[in-house]
Amino acid sequence: MANMRRSGVIAALAASSALLLAACSSGGDDPAPTNSGTANGSDEPVTITWWHNATADPALTFWQTVADEFEAANPNVTVEVEGIQNEDLQRTRIPVALQSGEAPDLFQQWGGGEMVAQVNDGYLKDISAMVADDVERLGGSVAPWQVDGKTYGLPYQFGPEGIWYRPSLFEAAGIDEVPSTLDELSDAVQKLKDAGIEPIAVGAADGWPAAHWWYNFALQSCPSDVLQAANSTLDFSDECFVTAGEKLQEFIDTEPFNSGYAATSAQQGATSSAGLVANGNAAMELMGQWNVSVMTGLVDDTEALVADLSWFPFPSIEGSQGDPTAMLGGGDGYSCYVDAPDACVDLLKYITSDDVLTRFASEVGGIPAAPAAHSGITDPNLQVQAEYMAESDYLQLWLDTSYGPTVGAAMNDAIIQLFAGNAAPADIPAAMTAAAGQ
Amino acid sequence: MTAIDTRTESGSAPGRKKKLSDVGAAAYFVAILAAGFSIVPVLYIMYSAFRTNGQLSASPAGLPDPFVWSNYSQVLGDSAFWQMMFASTIIALATTIGVVFLGVMAAYPLARYKFPGREGLYTYFTAGLLFPITVAALPLYLILLELKLPGTPWGLVLPQVAFQLPVTIVILRPFVQAIPRELEEAAAIDGAGRVQFFFKILLRLTTPALVTVGVLAFVGSWNAYLLPLLVVQGSDWTTLPLGVARFQSDHSQDTALILAFLSLAMLPAILFFTMMERKIVSGLSGAVKG
Amino acid sequence: MTVSREASGGDTDLVGGAQAPSAGSRPASAKTSQKRRPRHWGEIAIFVGPALLVFSAFVILPVVLAGYVSFFNWDGGGDLGNFVGFDNYTRVLDDGVFISSMKNNAFIVVMSLVIQGPFALGIALLMNRKLRFRAGFRTMIFVPYVLSEVVAGAMWRLILDQRGILNSLMIQWGIFDTPADAIGWLSDQKLVMWVMIFVLTWKYVGLAIILFLAGLQGVPEDLLEAAQIDGASWWQVQRRITIPLLGPTIRVWMFLSIIGSIQLFDMARLLTNNGAPFDTTFTMAMFVIDRAVTGRQYGYATAAAVILFAISLTAALLFMRFVMRRDNETAEKGAV
Repeated sequence: MANMRRSGVIAALAASSALLLAACSSGGDDPAPTNSGTANGSDEPVTITWWHNATADPALTFWQTVADEFEAANPNVTVEVEGIQNEDLQRTRIPVALQSGEAPDLFQQWGGGEMVAQVNDGYLKDISAMVADDVERLGGSVAPWQVDGKTYGLPYQFGPEGIWYRPSLFEAAGIDEVPSTLDELSDAVQKLKDAGIEPIAVGAADGWPAAHWWYNFALQSCPSDVLQAANSTLDFSDECFVTAGEKLQEFIDTEPFNSGYAATSAQQGATSSAGLVANGNAAMELMGQWNVSVMTGLVDDTEALVADLSWFPFPSIEGSQGDPTAMLGGGDGYSCYVDAPDACVDLLKYITSDDVLTRFASEVGGIPAAPAAHSGITDPNLQVQAEYMAESDYLQLWLDTSYGPTVGAAMNDAIIQLFAGNAAPADIPAAMTAAAGQ
Repeated sequence: MTAIDTRTESGSAPGRKKKLSDVGAAAYFVAILAAGFSIVPVLYIMYSAFRTNGQLSASPAGLPDPFVWSNYSQVLGDSAFWQMMFASTIIALATTIGVVFLGVMAAYPLARYKFPGREGLYTYFTAGLLFPITVAALPLYLILLELKLPGTPWGLVLPQVAFQLPVTIVILRPFVQAIPRELEEAAAIDGAGRVQFFFKILLRLTTPALVTVGVLAFVGSWNAYLLPLLVVQGSDWTTLPLGVARFQSDHSQDTALILAFLSLAMLPAILFFTMMERKIVSGLSGAVKG
Repeated sequence: MTVSREASGGDTDLVGGAQAPSAGSRPASAKTSQKRRPRHWGEIAIFVGPALLVFSAFVILPVVLAGYVSFFNWDGGGDLGNFVGFDNYTRVLDDGVFISSMKNNAFIVVMSLVIQGPFALGIALLMNRKLRFRAGFRTMIFVPYVLSEVVAGAMWRLILDQRGILNSLMIQWGIFDTPADAIGWLSDQKLVMWVMIFVLTWKYVGLAIILFLAGLQGVPEDLLEAAQIDGASWWQVQRRITIPLLGPTIRVWMFLSIIGSIQLFDMARLLTNNGAPFDTTFTMAMFVIDRAVTGRQYGYATAAAVILFAISLTAALLFMRFVMRRDNETAEKGAV
């Protein structure tokens, strides 16, 4: 090993930059040490490595149980499971593993533009033929795990984003029913302010929570077919993308957010946006389905919090072209590495089976990707979300995930500048179009 | 210090005079003020960790009442904390050893051999002072990838040694140069070649300077953030600074516990530095004037 | 600490009992004429080789590679993507966030010099005497400098947050009624850079003080005493004698401070949660890492890194050429 390292350094020094870079970028050329695909049902011993993003129970134990069950059903297969913290996994571990050519067989896949990049780099296995019936069974939520009609992964959960709120604070401010339109939301904000309650918490220091406000305004301002087309064409020329920013600008001008929101983080500590709502310092927060688990981690008395926490979908905008039932959301899935054995796909099929996902819903929580597994949901808030999702005519993956890292970053930056007062509504689609052209 | 006879000198305004004893009092005042400014926030964090969250929110600036040890004991009982402590220690020690040895070996010919290209080589090394790790971070990461080093301690130690070498060589070279030639000649008469001279005499005589560069390297490695973020984030070799951020999100509602973690994370560097402080100042004063 | 063509061995403080050559003598090595020994080059290679290899592989090569990668539209995976020439550079220089990060760096450079310099000089001059507990004071002043940037950043965030320790104290003292009315130390766009300067001063002024105190050890006592016997006041002595003699040290500190301010990363990133409020507190180094890690725009980020390096290099060269030139000349003469 030491010898290898030394010779590697010398080789690196001797190589010209171009050669070295060519070597760096040939991640896929190394003969991967993973098992070559074995035929289904053969008795050759196979080991599958599986990386997921659960670092705490109940999810950690649940995935291990699923792996054990799969091993029991397939005596020749060994599954090695590793749980890695989500950001580390997404930002560091998986990109490094893919580049170095020593990737796990089955790994967390967030879908969207990032997956497109992985497909283009030749890192993912095309599993279309093996999972055709599963795609049928899981329905529309599979789309973010497909590129050009081919399937490169399957989701196990998919949930919508909406507004989490504290009913007791609504009551204290004299708000009788949840806002279903933007005007009603603004009224609610004013009532909360009059009652001395911070209306809406947003972790703008992290960037994306503020950006998600614009996503939802865009979703409520733009016709579904325009949004649908933009996912693949990256064409943002429709006027509705400007309208979304104008409406958001008007809303920001009413100062609906918590004081100091520009430096508030989303999930870290009692003074984060989730912490403010969890501790009763703010009434609302726009966030994805995971928010309840974040909030319960920020208070001592979780039962009292869960009893006084509710959810409503993002309000529609009066007179806009958007579909009022359209929802923004995202999920989690898994992909198989390009050199992974077929047993990897079998394991993926098992993970996303109705039976496993029903248990996932009841034991871990979250909204399972399989509609048949929704019966396993126990949390009332998640049940509400699943119902809204079932009624929704248009589900849109997070815009930054969907449009890919380059456009996503440019879009988020431009939105932040709108919040800062340094950019006009038209600057956002302009920045996105410029990034898409690169 | 006694006040001296003050004959008004031509050109100095009489009102501008200061008595030396006043200066003495002012010196103490300023020293206490500067020391307080530096240390109060740190002390605040350390003693607040002896309080409960309830005490903290009731009165943020109060004294611990009652004293609770549970925050510190909980952090010290956390296996992840010790794993990070272990990783930080091993990586800092390996970096220190590497820097000191490679540095003094390189400084020896650069200071005491005459050969064409010597000054060019010295300038080549010192140019490294201008490269922030930020510039090199991304391509460096590629090189480490190529060598399969991310996630290993080597992936941190080798680049840290490399980036610490310039300042080390700059500090060590004058020290090595200053060793009297007579010693070398005497060693030669005893039949010792220059290699033996290096091991038998030079290493012993330059020990103080080696301590200085060693301490700088150790503390630099101990506190490093950017490179570990790219190289060992999420692996078994996660270091303490990365752990601070992780710990904050894991125990985010427990401010008192975070304070205890922060205190324990900063303590080793402070203690180590305090012990070595005198040596560092003398080492630096050579470099500052050199 | 200067990148001079010739390091002087004549004015080095030696500790631990080794004898320094008397001032003015030239470095021993300069007088040593080497007979060519057969193993001469071999020895040099053995001694310098390992350091040269490690340094070249992990410092020089990455910098060279950075120059190369910055001409490609590379996303960090697969092959390098398209060669785009100087496109990345023109886009970086047109990027509002990068421009504002350059302004932030400039502000930090100026403020660090203007605030830390006089502050540290005053303290060092006053402390340069036989104080009781002097070593203790010195250690305490140095503590912030020793702290990890991450720890210090996290600590100040806890203190300065909207609902942090400082605002809680102010509410307790009756200055504000609720956290919502209190001051947004880290969220007010007009205030936040000054807060950052304050925290940076707290963190780094110790280094200046320690360097100045080290430099003051080289100012001969008898010179000061003679001046005082001649009737000069304390302030006159400082202004006419001590500060000029401290000149080289001050300039070395300025050099380090400028380079450090241009390359500032850890503290700023942690304190501001990566650029809050609204990306107004980015430094150039933060921009580089942010665009690489969250945006996966490696080619673009590397171009920004090369620009950052060019700015560092230009600042260093200008400073050495115009400000430190005389110091280097005297160093080469071997005179103090």
